[in-house]
Amino acid sequence: MSDATYQKFVKRWEEVTELPPQTLGPLTGIYKQFARRLKVMPWPWFIGVSFLVAVAFYIVFGSAIATLVTILQRGF
Amino acid sequence: MESVSLLVVDAITFGRTVVGLLTRPYETYRRITKHGRLGEVLFITILAAAYFALASLIKVAAFRPFLLTEQFLLLIVGAASGVLLSVGSLCVAGLLLGGSPAWNKLMIAWVYTLIPTTVWFLSTSMLYVVLPPPRTTSTAGIAFSLLFLVFSSALLWWKITLAYLTLRFALKLDLVRNIVVALACAPILAGWSIGMYKLGIFKVPFL
Repeated sequence: MSDATYQKFVKRWEEVTELPPQTLGPLTGIYKQFARRLKVMPWPWFIGVSFLVAVAFYIVFGSAIATLVTILQRGF
Repeated sequence: MESVSLLVVDAITFGRTVVGLLTRPYETYRRITKHGRLGEVLFITILAAAYFALASLIKVAAFRPFLLTEQFLLLIVGAASGVLLSVGSLCVAGLLLGGSPAWNKLMIAWVYTLIPTTVWFLSTSMLYVVLPPPRTTSTAGIAFSLLFLVFSSALLWWKITLAYLTLRFALKLDLVRNIVVALACAPILAGWSIGMYKLGIFKVPFL
């Protein structure tokens, strides 16, 4: 490995290891699974969860979601 | 000439960062807190100013320069106070919990979380013109309401993710202490939001 490549590797390694890994006791595995999905291209998850949230709102509040959206649309 | 080159560099960095925030938020935030420059804040300010200008036009709904300028300045002062209060309270809470925040890194990281906020406000104000409320309970009305909720909720998740990464990288704290920092700052920001609502500046908090 050339010096420049090695120096680049060391710099990158220091950047990555600057923060200690997050641990949550017995929940660490679940946290890692969850975090991994949000680190790279999280949009399918954001949109999927948002779709479920919107459907849940419709199931709970029915057509009253139109009122909620009216309020939000006037909220800018 | 040097300042123009710096501006170009900041503009390119800003563009790269926005793409990174969409596709690789974790890695991008590590870069922002390590190499971010205050100059990048200018481009988010321009984006927010575009929204404030549009919102002023829609709210005043008349070509009255004095009223338009007053509304525009109110929105800018309101948003700036929100940013300063957020960064200040996060910095103090982070310090109290043993973090090591650098205020300029925290400021840059937090200002980048305003991108989802500005996108939501900008698109909502445009939608207000194209499809003005109230929404009806017809099939089309409910379908639009569902779509709007999905859109708003997705941006909210993005915002929450970026806010968490700000705390993680700028304060260098673990998840539990990050949650404590967020809970400690929530009443302050809730008070600010109520104040902005009562003053008629922001109905939905611009945070």
